Amino acid sequence: MSRTWLGQRERGSLLLMRLIAWIALELGRPAARLLLVPISLYFLLFSGKARQASRLYLRRVLGREPGWLDSYRHYFCFSATILDRLYFLSGRHASFDIAVNGIGPLLACLQRGQGCVLLGAHLGSFEVLRTLAVQFGKVPFAMLMHTGNAHKMNAIIDGLNPAMAGSIIAMGSPDGLLRAREVIDAGGIVGILSDRVRPGDKTLPCRFFGFDAALPVGPLAFASIMHAPVLLCFGLYRGKRRYDVHFELLAEAIDAPRARRREAIHGYLQQYAGRIEHYCRIAPYNWFNFYDYWQPF
Amino acid sequence: MADNNTPFEQEVAALIVEALNLETAAEEIAAEQPLYQEGLGLDSIDMLEISLAVSRKYGFQLKSDDPDNAATFSSLRNLARHIEKNRIK
Repeated sequence: MSRTWLGQRERGSLLLMRLIAWIALELGRPAARLLLVPISLYFLLFSGKARQASRLYLRRVLGREPGWLDSYRHYFCFSATILDRLYFLSGRHASFDIAVNGIGPLLACLQRGQGCVLLGAHLGSFEVLRTLAVQFGKVPFAMLMHTGNAHKMNAIIDGLNPAMAGSIIAMGSPDGLLRAREVIDAGGIVGILSDRVRPGDKTLPCRFFGFDAALPVGPLAFASIMHAPVLLCFGLYRGKRRYDVHFELLAEAIDAPRARRREAIHGYLQQYAGRIEHYCRIAPYNWFNFYDYWQPF
Repeated sequence: MADNNTPFEQEVAALIVEALNLETAAEEIAAEQPLYQEGLGLDSIDMLEISLAVSRKYGFQLKSDDPDNAATFSSLRNLARHIEKNRIK
């Protein structure tokens, strides 16, 4: 299991998250950001496997051999977005500079009471979306996450912002998808970071920086069954207090009856991978999958 | 193989086979066999499709906060019982 993100990355990021959380909320963002320097250096020096994976990715996105400075920037960007996640989740985001692009199709869905699926990735900050809650009104919002992480995230969110409690749904059980169905039926938004695969997930190979990576079929299968529009959402961190949130419509509805589901979904999944690649090129240090993303499953 | 299935269990088995486009014949799904993962090998997407088919055919919705969900989805027999108890058509 240690070769996958389940065994490897979450442990590190949770430890990092707890440490940063205390400093961030007690001392404020400028003080907390000073600490990102030694934290990033620490991970740069002591996270062998993750750094190898980071270098493999950076080589492909930058098109050259990455140096120490590139690796450092990758870690710094990662820890900076983890820090900011705390402010977004606790509702303290007034001082951020957040530019929103292409939100029209999403608002159109919400206005006609149409529930939709919002696909994100471990690219920049998906939580920056929480700052747009005012625009979403009273529409229910839930994140579908893998079970173990869902429990941990719920615990963290409960502490930060009780109003958001219960907005994380654990994937992988019948109950979880029934709950997600209810959110869609109520005209709400179901968010899924669908760039990671768990052992046992159904996957399809997609070209990503010229090589095949396995992406999960489940999120798009869910959208297809629910006849829900699928939108993409990536919150890129651009340094200092700046985030650029990009929305795109992937499909009004995915017509994928079971008999030809994999074929029907494959094209959309490849488009999703292509858009991630596009935004990775715009903001190379925002990609936060610190394991060999192209490993065969 | 599934000689002990009641007529209603047969009906629900047929619904599952149709909803999921399974290769298995409805008669081959034993009432006690687990549906989820280890038995028939269905995943949570499959279970969602079964619940949607159940809603369409029997007119009630399987709720996410029902504490009996794990039991309901554990076998054809339990699912059939749950449907008989809650159906409104």
